[in-house]
Amino acid sequence: MNKGLIITLPRYDEVTEYISQFSKEILKEAHLRGIPLKELRDKGCTRKEFEKVAKGLNYGLIVLNGHGSNTAIEGHKDQILVESGVNEEILRDKITYARSCDAGAQLGHDAMKLNIEGCFIGYELPFVFYHDAERETNPLKDNTAKLFLEPSNAIPISIMKGNVAEQAHENGRKLLLKNMRKALRQKTSDSLGFAEGLWNNYIGQVLLGNPNASLYNL
Amino acid sequence: MKEISTRHKEEINDLLKELVITRIEAQMPSTLRISIGSHGSFTKEQLIDHIKEGDEIGRQVVKMHISFIKAQASGAFIEALNSVDDE
Repeated sequence: MNKGLIITLPRYDEVTEYISQFSKEILKEAHLRGIPLKELRDKGCTRKEFEKVAKGLNYGLIVLNGHGSNTAIEGHKDQILVESGVNEEILRDKITYARSCDAGAQLGHDAMKLNIEGCFIGYELPFVFYHDAERETNPLKDNTAKLFLEPSNAIPISIMKGNVAEQAHENGRKLLLKNMRKALRQKTSDSLGFAEGLWNNYIGQVLLGNPNASLYNL
Repeated sequence: MKEISTRHKEEINDLLKELVITRIEAQMPSTLRISIGSHGSFTKEQLIDHIKEGDEIGRQVVKMHISFIKAQASGAFIEALNSVDDE
């Protein structure tokens, strides 16, 4: 396994635009630490391309941004990148963080079946976030979306900083709790709604596979 | 007996929907949208329509609210919040 990051960055609707834009923090961390990086952007987020780079580069960290279901994670539009019973073994013995709905309910388990060294961090519930319609042209200035997306960025960033999977998973969950407190402290009409959405992501986030997986030890 | 039970279930279902709609009306400003996984992004009005319709998106939203209310009632939410410090 080689030290490096493969990240998918599809942008074809509001959701993928937001999660891909907010991934800039993850890219920045990889650059800062000199971690080799392969970005699959927009139309480049296809199964063929993903399989080619995952097998060819054999990088240890994979970040998947995209829509998902219990059994699959998508790339550009409705193209499936990874699917249970088809090619889930591609994630075996790698550290995967999937910012996708529901994939932690089955796909993650299937991918970790014969896994020894790697792990899968994802969500067994729909990943939710609020965003401000007035900020859609500039997602990074949307402080509402930031409350939800920063804690999820913290997971791969924590892995790149040298933490093991369990620490990264906990760091992400702690940040969700901190943002719940932050939202509630603001005491606005939307505070409770934000806390509720953050709670959904908190209880839905799962770590499967090896809790001691490390990018520097694969 | 079975008919009564079904009617009661429907009543409870309608009450749950009403409860969630009241919460959304009170909590969600019209300028915000909520993204719910692969279902897409929704305005407050769209969310309420899905709940009234009782479709998959509506059911998902109701489940999310009930799960949060349960966590508040059981003390799990406050316990989790108290496990972290503000910085």
